[in-house]
Amino acid sequence: MITKQLIDQIEGEASIFFDMKDDVVDFATIAFPHFRGMESILKGKSALDALVITPRVCGICGHAHLMATVRALENAYKNAGYPIELSKKVEIIREFTLVMEMIQNHFKWIYLTIIPEVSKLTDSTRESTPLKGAYAASIASKAIAIFGGQWPHSSYMIPGGITTDPTNIDLLKVESYVDELISFFEKESIGISLEQFLSFESCKDFNTLSSDISYLESSLVTMKMNEKGFAYDRFLVIGEHTFSKPSKLKQTRPFGIDAKYVNTIDSYSPDKVSYAKNAQYKDEFYETGPLARAIATNLPIVKNMHRRFKDSAYSRVMARVFELATLLKHAKGLLSEIDISQKSCLKSVDISKITATGTGVVEAPRGPLLHTVNIKNGLIQEYKIVTPTQFNIGSSSKSNPTPAQKAMIGMTQAEALFIFRTFDVCSVCTTH
Amino acid sequence: MPSKQDKKPSIIWFQGVTCNGNTHSFLNLENLDKLLNKFEILSHPSLPSTKDFDTITNCTLVCDIFIFEGTYDPLMKRNDVLISKVVEHYAKNAKYVIALGSCASFGGMFKASAPHRNSGLLFNEQEKSGPLLNVQTKIINISGCPIHPEWLAYTLSMIEKEREVEIDDLHRPIELYSTLAHHGCTRNEYFEWKVDADGFGEKEGCLYYKQGCRAPMTHASCNKILWNGVSSKTRVGTPCFGCTEPDFPRQNLFSTKTNMSIPEDVPLGVPKRSYLTMAGIAKTFHINRLEGKLIDYKTTD
Repeated sequence: MITKQLIDQIEGEASIFFDMKDDVVDFATIAFPHFRGMESILKGKSALDALVITPRVCGICGHAHLMATVRALENAYKNAGYPIELSKKVEIIREFTLVMEMIQNHFKWIYLTIIPEVSKLTDSTRESTPLKGAYAASIASKAIAIFGGQWPHSSYMIPGGITTDPTNIDLLKVESYVDELISFFEKESIGISLEQFLSFESCKDFNTLSSDISYLESSLVTMKMNEKGFAYDRFLVIGEHTFSKPSKLKQTRPFGIDAKYVNTIDSYSPDKVSYAKNAQYKDEFYETGPLARAIATNLPIVKNMHRRFKDSAYSRVMARVFELATLLKHAKGLLSEIDISQKSCLKSVDISKITATGTGVVEAPRGPLLHTVNIKNGLIQEYKIVTPTQFNIGSSSKSNPTPAQKAMIGMTQAEALFIFRTFDVCSVCTTH
Repeated sequence: MPSKQDKKPSIIWFQGVTCNGNTHSFLNLENLDKLLNKFEILSHPSLPSTKDFDTITNCTLVCDIFIFEGTYDPLMKRNDVLISKVVEHYAKNAKYVIALGSCASFGGMFKASAPHRNSGLLFNEQEKSGPLLNVQTKIINISGCPIHPEWLAYTLSMIEKEREVEIDDLHRPIELYSTLAHHGCTRNEYFEWKVDADGFGEKEGCLYYKQGCRAPMTHASCNKILWNGVSSKTRVGTPCFGCTEPDFPRQNLFSTKTNMSIPEDVPLGVPKRSYLTMAGIAKTFHINRLEGKLIDYKTTD
């Protein structure tokens, strides 16, 4: 018998249709019901308008969309014979604000999504503190706003650079926000110093902590999430960044990668219309996001986790926690490299001179985000977006399930719902 | 006896066609906990809520304040229930309806998803023809893409204190929308002396003449109540896109439409002739301080 479960309090809404056998999930399909037609909204508009429109695909990762757009436009400039040079300063600041958006995402996910779910499933009496996540996210947003003017929905990246020309006053402010985030994370989340936490090499090290994160970790073990929620144990990282490495990984073995091999197929969702297409790489499903990025960069603790618990729900959750820690340190490093005397924006030819196709790929909080734009005389002919949730949480047939579908098979319904959330679902992005 | 707890105004925050931008913007509010403590949150897209979503879409409850985020699409279903039914039920029984963001206020970004049927709750762009015409006296539009968290906090606090929120013709609180995005812009002096920005990425120059800035024509308080408490679009050299107005999103957002090198749209309420005269005179002056980099101008007299 098929039973429907509505998933709310994610980014948007999704439905899962469970086919249960002997009280465990035999198969499940997933539907994302709300279509918004972003790609057709963009058609016919000035290509630069995409810098304002695509961030509005998503309230929580709009900055990743902005960066994917600017990369796609700059790639189109290059393909049209007008290559764009970026100053080092521009590259660093763009990267920094993207990292800050990931940090706000991960803080919210930990405190507003996953800890409350863990408490519910373990009947914990521990007081839930969701607003800790909102507070930390608001500090990360301030750091973005110093450069980007505001968060959400900034449009400060444009072909050739960024619109802002920061001063030392701005830099000092941003540094103080990063310091505030680090001390918040140390005091409120992990209970030890960031450096100590980052030096962890084994999951056993978590036993020495007494904090929100050790509560999360030990609860995952209590729930046996280190033995559950396995997907394909193959991973994909496509965006070029200072904090990760593009690669296709089978277990931990890396292979080369090229965005041109990403393909999308119609989803299989017999019980309800779904507006999400499934994304694949060379016709195969891969998991994307923090676990993929950590394995691609050989992060010792996550490699240890993976050796012991493979791509379990435990590894997926704890990789996201660890990514938060590594990004906090990385953000501080990026700031120290900014030379404010460099140019903020180099002039490029008018967009009306551009007739070309361009692709922009970034790592968004949940994995690779791909934008492809076809421009004729500065106007958008076609715009295509592939989002990370399309890789992780598509809905396919029983013989070839998506990573999230595979991870839910054999679980009780409650476990399956939890595992579904370990992928950090973004329905709004998926139904762009 | 009802306890004090029972007297907290109740809120249902419900979404139509949206990106969640207003939800996430609101989470940035400073002292969010203090505001939330004054209300009972029956339902919210991400904050702890006292009712589950099935209960909300069953439409058996009522709430004091119904917040709707996103464009209204009469055919959209949430949890398999038409949102037209949900919106009608809660709007009829609530004391206040807040249309949150430009999508809920005027149709906004996602009007274009289905232009023939999508709209805001009360307005379809400028035209007052939305589905909640019959309860229009309860409706407060907080436009913006997204809203500034302080704008919602102000409105909710006024309601909680039982003070009147005065609104403009477009049902926006006048204390927030009688100012223009231009007010408080750090580039005002360049606007006064008609010195335009030389491209992007500079601290100097006004973005109104070439870069498409809509701040002199846009009702908003972005440069008065700063974004994330620290900045605004124009302060970081990004033009204002006019996201609080019913015609958002316009086209060609990074360039100013001009006639004989004068912007086609002149600052709000200023007669075009007066503007041309004044601009013509200002342009004849040469002010060294405003023509180079501010930081290079070291003379203090």
